[in-house]
Amino acid sequence: MGVSKELFEKQVLGLLGPLQGVARRLTRNDTEAEDLVAETVTRAWRARDTLESEAAFRSWLFRILNNTFISDLRRAGARPKTESIHADETNEDEAYFSVFEQVHQPFLLWFGNPEQEFLDKLLREDLDRALATLPEHHRIVVILSDLEEFSYSEIAETLEVPIGTVRSRLARARSALQKLLWQQAKDYGLGSEESTRDGEKPCPQAGEQSVAPSARKV
Amino acid sequence: MSNKPIDCEQALSILYDYLDRELGEHDHEAMEHHLSVCKSCFSRAEFEQRLKEKMKSLREAQPAADSNDRIKQLLKDL
Ligand SMILES: [Zn+2]
Repeated sequence: MGVSKELFEKQVLGLLGPLQGVARRLTRNDTEAEDLVAETVTRAWRARDTLESEAAFRSWLFRILNNTFISDLRRAGARPKTESIHADETNEDEAYFSVFEQVHQPFLLWFGNPEQEFLDKLLREDLDRALATLPEHHRIVVILSDLEEFSYSEIAETLEVPIGTVRSRLARARSALQKLLWQQAKDYGLGSEESTRDGEKPCPQAGEQSVAPSARKV
Repeated sequence: MSNKPIDCEQALSILYDYLDRELGEHDHEAMEHHLSVCKSCFSRAEFEQRLKEKMKSLREAQPAADSNDRIKQLLKDL
């Protein structure tokens, strides 16, 4: 199908915030994230003939972002090529870890609600840290599903994997994330009051997020 | 309701599909029905839903101004 320069610009600018947000979470580095977005936009324009429909623009652009990120990683020799390919087949038990099952005790319900208490104590920085700790192939599915709210079929298109793989990878990623959150919770002592956790910092994006999307100058 | 009710095991197996709004109408209804009668699955679903919402709050939707300028310039030069 391809795309006109005008439409390309409009679509890219409309997706710039999410693009940068996802790039920052993938690279965990602001400068690298900026470079990744710039490289993605350049590559996308060069590959504009591969866009199949306007409706597919978002998954097409994020596919290029993810592929650019992965090829940068490989070039840097950061990790072996095979890890993300075989990662879904290993650590079967990873798919079954649940914080809920760890803390939920129906017979103790009248003493309180430990799983809700766990959630109440979770801070933005806890989630940030756990997400950043996930391996890339897990991190990306959680980002696309939970943060960007891509449908499974959009994630499948973005990552170029079957929908069944999206489903199983997401289950494993969420399980791994809960395992990390659980570990962090145990490290600071679940259920115990700690003075260091009283100084909750406000979300750094809070001010920016109040800006309506229409306020963005295109 | 003519749908065959689902049990807890089935409910848990489609819990994420349900929360991610990936279920067809039939399964969605069966799940809603199960959650309305099963306290244990309801609590589990509530927990996962709240965690999912917390994750969503990490989303950064607005581009940083300086990198915005960089991309605008890049687009102009394409
Ligand atoms: Zn149940």
